[in-house]
Order: sequence, then C-alpha cells, then structure tokens
Amino acid sequence: MIQLRNVERSYKTGAGATYVLRRINLDIQAGDFVTVMGPSGAGKSTMLSILGMLDDGWAGEYHFLDHAVHKLDRKKRADLNRQYIGFVFQSYHLLDNLTVYENLDVPLSYRNVSRGQRASMVAEVLDRFQIVGKKDLYPSQLSGGQQQLVGVARAVVGNPKLILADEPTGNLHSSQAKEIMELFKKLNDQGTTIVQVTHSEANAAYGNRTIQLFDGWIANDPKNEPVPNTTASIG
Amino acid sequence: METLLHDLRYGVRMLRKSPSFTAIAVLTLALGIGSTVAIFSVVDQVLLHSLPYPDADRIMYVSQTERGGNELHYASSPANYLDWVAQNHVFSVMAASRGWQGNLGGDRPERVRLSMTTASLFPLFAVHPMLGRGLESEDEEPSNDHVAVLSYGLWNRRFGADPGLINQSITLNNETYTVVGVMPSNFLPDGYGELWVPSPWGVPSHPLVPSQDPRQFRDRNYLDVWGRLKPGVTQHQAEQEMSAIARRLEKQYPDSNDGIGVGMMSLQDSVVSDIRPVLYVLLAAVAFVLLIGCTNVANLLLARSSGRTREISIRIALGAGRRRIVSQLLTESVLLAVAGGLLGIVIAAWAVPTLVALGPSEIRDYGNIGVNLEALAFAVVVSILTGVLFGLAPALHASEGKVSDSLKEGERGSTAQRGRTRTALVVAEVALSLILLIGAGLTVRSFVRVLRVDPGFDASHLLVFGVGLPPSASADEQDRFYRQVAEKLETLPGVQSAGAVSRLPLSGGNSGRSFKLPGSAKDYSADIRVETPRYLQTMGVSLLKGRYLDEHDIAGATPVIVVNEAFTKSVFPGEDPIGKYITDFGPGMDKLQIVGVVGNVRHVALEAAPRAEVYLPFGQAHWTSAFVAVRTKTSDPLALVPAVQNAVWSVDKTVPLAGVRTMQDLIARSLVQRKFTMTLLAIFAALAVVLAAIGLYGAMSYSVSQRTREIGIRMALGAQKKDVLKMVVGQGMGLAAIGVAVGIAGSLGMMRLISGLLFGVSATDPVTFILLAMVLAGVAFAANYIPARRATAVDPMVALRYE
Ligand SMILES: Nc1ncnc2c1ncn2[C@@H]1O[C@H](COP(=O)(O)OP(=O)(O)OP(=O)(O)O)[C@@H](O)[C@H]1O
Ligand SMILES: [Mg+2]
Repeated sequence: MIQLRNVERSYKTGAGATYVLRRINLDIQAGDFVTVMGPSGAGKSTMLSILGMLDDGWAGEYHFLDHAVHKLDRKKRADLNRQYIGFVFQSYHLLDNLTVYENLDVPLSYRNVSRGQRASMVAEVLDRFQIVGKKDLYPSQLSGGQQQLVGVARAVVGNPKLILADEPTGNLHSSQAKEIMELFKKLNDQGTTIVQVTHSEANAAYGNRTIQLFDGWIANDPKNEPVPNTTASIG
Repeated sequence: METLLHDLRYGVRMLRKSPSFTAIAVLTLALGIGSTVAIFSVVDQVLLHSLPYPDADRIMYVSQTERGGNELHYASSPANYLDWVAQNHVFSVMAASRGWQGNLGGDRPERVRLSMTTASLFPLFAVHPMLGRGLESEDEEPSNDHVAVLSYGLWNRRFGADPGLINQSITLNNETYTVVGVMPSNFLPDGYGELWVPSPWGVPSHPLVPSQDPRQFRDRNYLDVWGRLKPGVTQHQAEQEMSAIARRLEKQYPDSNDGIGVGMMSLQDSVVSDIRPVLYVLLAAVAFVLLIGCTNVANLLLARSSGRTREISIRIALGAGRRRIVSQLLTESVLLAVAGGLLGIVIAAWAVPTLVALGPSEIRDYGNIGVNLEALAFAVVVSILTGVLFGLAPALHASEGKVSDSLKEGERGSTAQRGRTRTALVVAEVALSLILLIGAGLTVRSFVRVLRVDPGFDASHLLVFGVGLPPSASADEQDRFYRQVAEKLETLPGVQSAGAVSRLPLSGGNSGRSFKLPGSAKDYSADIRVETPRYLQTMGVSLLKGRYLDEHDIAGATPVIVVNEAFTKSVFPGEDPIGKYITDFGPGMDKLQIVGVVGNVRHVALEAAPRAEVYLPFGQAHWTSAFVAVRTKTSDPLALVPAVQNAVWSVDKTVPLAGVRTMQDLIARSLVQRKFTMTLLAIFAALAVVLAAIGLYGAMSYSVSQRTREIGIRMALGAQKKDVLKMVVGQGMGLAAIGVAVGIAGSLGMMRLISGLLFGVSATDPVTFILLAMVLAGVAFAANYIPARRATAVDPMVALRYE
C-alpha cells in the first residue's frame, strides 16, 4: 500500500538545513498495523504528516496504492487524503466553535456522503465511543482525555482505508487506552491499515510490526536491515 | 508628564509597526471628518448662521398673500406698501425694491441688474457703505433722483475698483447718474441688484411704465418688501398687526384687495427655503459617512485589541497597574484620531471652496465660506470617542477580573463576544452605505428623468440673450426695436430664424395676469408673453390649432393672442378656443381674440408642470425688456455671437447684450441645484461604499487570520480550496446579506424624507432598490473574495504545528 524510497525532510534554519527525516525506506502492506516509536523529536509526527499527505516539503519517492505521490500536486494529494486517510492528531485539533457532533461531521461534509447517511455514520461513531451524551458539548467543555477520544472518533468516522494516529492514547487512562487499541485491532482485522505513533510498549503490542525512529533515521525495522551506516558511507 | 511622553513614543512606535492598519484607520477617519466638516461648514454658514447684517434675525421679508394660497413669494403693490408703512407699529423701518435690467453705457455697453429701491433699504439692512454713502430720502425727489449706489461686484469688475469713482458720472439707460456710494461685497439685500437707484416718488415705479407715478397702483404687484422688527416685537405680533391692516385695506379697496392678506418670513428663511432641504439631506448623508468611518475604525481597533488581550492579561497578572494600561491604549487611540483629524482638515479645506463653486447661487452668494471650527471640533471629538470606546475595550475587559479566564482559554471567550460586536458593526456599515447608495441612486434617476423631460421647444442650435432699450424709450420705439432686431438677425447668413419674447423659458422670471371671459365675472389667470412674429417658430414650439402670430398682428390691427394647451385645458375644457375672446387682461387689453393654440412649454423649470400661457404680439402689447432667441444653422451657435452683436448694434449701437448663451446652457443652469445634490450624494455614496468595503475586507481578513488554525484543521480533514473559499465568502456574504436587508428596510423609511427632491421616480422605486442592493452585494463579494483566497493558501502543516 505504502512505499517510501529515500524520503527526506529538512527545515531551513539560520545557517543551512536541519534534517528531520533521512533516507527513509519503508514498505507497508494493506492490512498492516504498524507502530512507530522513538524518542521525542525523532521525526515521528513528521513522518506521519508525510504519509497523510499533509506535508509537501519532502524529497524522495512515495508510492501510495498505485499513485506516485511525489509526482502529484497539492490538490491530488489532498484528494488522496480525503479518499483514503483518517488522521488522529497528536494535539487533537478539534474545532473550538463546533460541538462534538459537528466536529465528527466535518470530515464527512467534505466527502460525497449524503446528509442522511452522514447522520447515521456520526450516530454510529458516537455510540461506538460511548460519547452520545457529550454530542452537544464544545471541546472546551471536555477533559483532555475526552477530547482525544473525539479526535480518534473523528479519524475513523469516514471508514478510511488507512488510519494514521499520532499518540492516540497520550492523554487517556489505561482502560480507555485499551478500548481504543481494541477498536484499532478490530478495524485492522476488518482490513483497515493502521500506522500509530506511541511511547507505550503495551500499545505497540497490538500492532504486528514496530519501527524505531531515531534522530530521523529508521533505526530498526523488522522487515528491513538497519541501514544508517552503509548509506552514510555512500552519502 | 514623563509617562505621557513615554506613552506617546510607545504609541507612535506601535502605530508605525502596523503601517497598513494605521494608514487605513487614519484615511478612513480623515475622509469621514473631512467631508462632514466641509458640508457642515456650508450648512452652518447658509442655514444656521445669520446673514451678514446686524440683528439679521429681526429682518422680515413681507409679502402679499392670496386667500387660499400659501405662497409667500408674492410681490406687493406700491399703494399697499405705502399704507403698510403708514399704519404699522411693529416695524422700525420698511423698504421696498424692484429689480429690472438696465443698460450701463461706456466703451463697452453692458446690461446690468438694476434695482430701484426706497432709500430706507440701507438703514434697514444697516450695512455701512464701503465708499461714499447709501441712498437717502433727498434722492427720492424726481429732480434729484439721478444718483446710483454700486455693488462691490460691479465696482470691482467694471470700474477696476477705482476709489475715485465717487461723484463721477456714469451713463445708465442713456441718462447720466452720479455714483454716490459703493457697498461691501456681503450686501445682497435682494439677491439681485448690481446697482441701486432711488425711487422718485418714494416707492419704486412700475418697470413697464417707469415714468408714471406709482403711488396709486394697488393691483400691480412688483415690489419686494422688507421690514425690521422694532425691539421687543415678535414675528407673531407683527403678523397679527399686519393682518389687521390688510383686512382694513380689503374693506377699503374691495376691487383690488379682495382676498389679499399679508405674510412674512424671516429674511434667512426667504433666502434659503429652497436650498434648505437639500442641505439637510446632504448633512444626513455626510453624517452617515462619518458614522461608517467611525465604525471602520472601531472594527479595526477591536480586531487589533483582540490580539492583545493576552498580552494585557499577562501584564496585569504580572502586576501592571490598570491605569498604566488604560492610559497607554488611550494614547494610541487619540493619536489615531488626531492624525485622522489633521488630514481631515486638509480635505475639508480643499473641499469647502470646491463645494461652493459647484453649488447653486444661494450658496455662492455667501461668498467667503471657510472651514467651520466647531464642526471640526465636533468631528474630531466623535472620532476620538470612537477610538477611546473601542480602543479601551480590551483593557477594560482584561481588568474585569477575567484575567485567569483569558489566560487559560487563550482568547476564546472574549473573542466570541468581540466577534459579535464586530459582526454587528460590519452589518451596520453595509446597511448605512446601502441607504446612501439608494438615496444617491434615486437622485441620479430623478436627474435622468428631468433631462428626458420634453421642454416643449427644441433647445439645440439656439442662441439666446437679453436686450432692452432704456425706460425713457416710448412704447412704440421699444416694440419697433424688438421687431427690427429680430428681422435684422434673420438676414444673417447662418441664422435660420429669430424672435424676441418678454419672458424666456428657464431664464428665471415670470409674469402672470388675471383676465375674464366676456359676459362672465369669473377671474382666470395666465402667464403673459409678448413676442415678435416667429419667436414661437424659432423656439420650435409646435402649433396645434389655428395660426402663429405674424407680421400683420400690429398696433391698430385686430387684437389677437395665441394660447397654449394648458390654457385651453383650464379655460375652455372640451371646446375649440379658436375665435373665442378674453377680456380685462390689463390696461387697454379688452377684447383679445384667440387665433392659435400652441404646445406647452416648461417655463419655470423642467420639473414644474406647464402653466397656462398667453402670447401677445409686440405692438398690441408692450414690454420694456426682452430675450431674443436665434436659431442657427451651425452646430455651434456661439460662433455667431460677433455677427449677432453687430446686427443688434446696427439697430441701436448703445444697446448691450446680456447673458449671451446657448439655450442648452440655460437648461443646464436651471439644473445646477439638482446636479449639485446628485453629485454630492453620489460622491458620499461612493465614499460610503468604499469605506464599507474596506470595513468588510478588514473584518474578513481579520477573521481569516484568526481562523488559520481552524482552516488548517479543516484542510487536513479533507476540505478542498473551494470548500474553504465557500466557507469564508459565505460567512462574509451572510453578513453582507443581513446588512443589505437592514439597509433596504432603512431605505424604505428614509427615502420618504427625500421624496421632495425626487422627480419621476418613486421614493421606494423597486428597480433602484434591487439594482443597488446587487451592486453593493457585488462589492461585498469582492471585499470577501480577497481574504477568502488568502485563506485557501493556508498551509495545514504550519497551521497545525502552532496553536
Ligand atoms: N516547522 C519546523 N521548523 C523547524 N523545525 C521543525 C519544524 N517542525 C518540526 N521541526 C523539528 O523536526 C523535529 C521532529 O519533529 P516531530 O514533531 O516529527 O518529532 P516527534 O518525533 O513527533 O516528537 P514528539 O514525540 O515530541 O511528538 C524536531 O526536532 C522539530 O524541532
Ligand atoms: Mg510528535
């Protein structure tokens, strides 16, 4: 489903460029449940943004399904995002002026979903996350954990083929975290591909493969040999 | 003191840090203040301030009234005037005058506006002559009456402001007069005279029979009369006593005075009653502009202060005194208002003379209108208040014990509240500008309608001018002169035809008379025109029945007249008037036979309904001045002026031509006031729309900048550019739509107030309303589109990273 070849991401800084991701080669098959781990600042969120077609400032090759993403313009990338991807943001990014219900409806409103169908999809997700009672509250009226729950719900509401989750349980207590993970597991069993970023070994255990990111390099990927030294000598 | 300096320096720095905010705010305020002050200065000078005469509010314009009528602009008769003077106890002095034209001789003979007046005019207006003296009662002896007082304008223009002119002779109507005085430029008692001469019988003589003693004329009304109230006498008391006198005269002279009363209004009202509604409308319009300007600034300040609530909260949390913060923000707002005010003065200083030059003569007559300081102070205070009110909002808000709220929640709670205020302000701006736009639209449409009015004659290729012999010329000489001039002009190559008439349409004068039908006591009235053959043909007035007057209609022949359609309608409805007679149309005009019916002419104004008119031939009737109309074969009638002048001088070389212009120019002059109103309203409406567009643009730009994160999230969740565009434009257009709705509702109410200025279009004309609402919506769309485009350029990554 996903193939990254020599993907690099750098930011211009005062003197030159700081590399945040280096020579990333990564293959993810449809149906995988991949966990990305690594210390803070390693580039996990950055990688997820690239996978989610939110970021354009990278170099290299990215194949998504049968699209060569590196050759697509912003609009086409946005189309792919809308069509296939649900994103859980590290800092939730709920819309302050909208209620929980309306927040869940937003992604659907940008897809070709009829009004009636949208209502039933939102209702179903509210039910599944047991937040029906909160549907008319605003984000500011929710606890951090509840906000995170809504953020996850919003990512799955459109039944995406690929879920990208940036620390989806960071603010949840363990039983809630467990429920989210069970849900992901279930979706994964039904064929949804999942890439999650987490610091928790317990969460990682739900996945079938864990990638270690360290200072922008993939330090360990069970499917690939670790490459830093060899590529470093070539580069 | 040191703090103030510090605040000032800091304020200037803050304003310089955001130059576009500062520029928009200052410019907006300046336009609002500048235009308000300019209009207010004119209004104040014309309407509110008294005329430049001592105790001017004590001067009354007095006139005869007719029972049933309420028209005060009625002239009075000499005999009645003399009785009023003799019998009243309410006026310390009364005066009468009548205007006419006279020929000022010299190297370049010139037709001047001559006013014959009682000597009391000068003490009544209490203006000291600039040179020499005014008229005095000794001048009113028939043997002594060849003295003249000049207006400043004539003295300056014609005599090069020569201070040695006093006691010199001038030639007036071929007679020698001695100049005894020159009046200052603000002396315009009758709004007419360039030159004042005394009345030989103590009351001005009739212009058509100037050599007759007028003191017994009771049914010939041609005098303007003024009275100065005695100290302590009110206008009401004066009205009562004058009415009592009028009732006595009515009983005493039932023949002439039946139904004749006396009315009065203050001189001020008599001068400005026509222009007053226009000035009030303009004042209201300009107040709207100022309001919109202030709204804009309020909006800008609110938007700006939102971004500083957090900063202020933190400062307060760190122990900054509330007063320090308030005084800081205050300094900034006041700086803005003062800068706007200064630029506003520059705009007003430029706009006032422009307005005066553009305006109708009532305004121009006021001469030196300057920028009004009270108005300036008012406008600056209003804008400072605006600044203070909205500039201080965040400081007050932050110090209301909500510090922890705004620290914790960022800016969310207070933003929502201020957002609502800003929304309301934008809606108000759109509504106000639509009201102005519709007002301007209706006046523009009225103007177009007036231009489309058929005047009843063909104004193209027409050259017109005034001409007249001195009053000493006999009636025969005069009549012959006009006929000869017309005939001579017709021999010129390039001239198709020519004719003379006593009163030319749209030239600002009119004369009416009463008449009877044979065997009936019923009184009718009609306007009187005395013409040479082919005047009506020259003007292109259509013949509907019978014939025009011609060369055979001369003194001694059967007295004949031509009447117009309006006359036929009112006097002979449903009958054929040809061959019928009218009687008692003036001295010696007893059996006048109607030989023709011609089309109506808009004589008084294009907007005014045609009046009943009677045309008589020179020779059978008599007039001492005339207008000549020349229909030329060339497209530029003015090219013929030298030839025309020579033709007139070949008949009499002492006779000057007055007001030589094309008929089209005369029409344009008759529309000056309407055009003035229309132009100003259009300018204000345009200004209002621009300001409202800036306001809308500013509000939406700010909203987009505030919503960057939200837009980023939405894009990350799948929103496309078109979704974002639709969302932002939709929000702005929603506001605009509410504003338009409010504006239409407001206009429905407000436009009734200007219905008096409209012509041929209803105050609630749906076409104008809908069209201009659409125009405004279009402008609103443009003002929304630019910030919306910017919103689509939001990079979700950047938006998401920073909260
Ligand atoms: N806009 C930017 N400009 C410069 N550097 C940036 C920018 N955005 C991210 N970085 C840098 O990129 C690096 C990787 O950031 P990223 O958010 O991917 O880390 P992360 O692995 O998700 O960390 P965490 O576990 O704390 O979320 C960091 O060092 C960060 O400072
Ligand atoms: Mg991260």
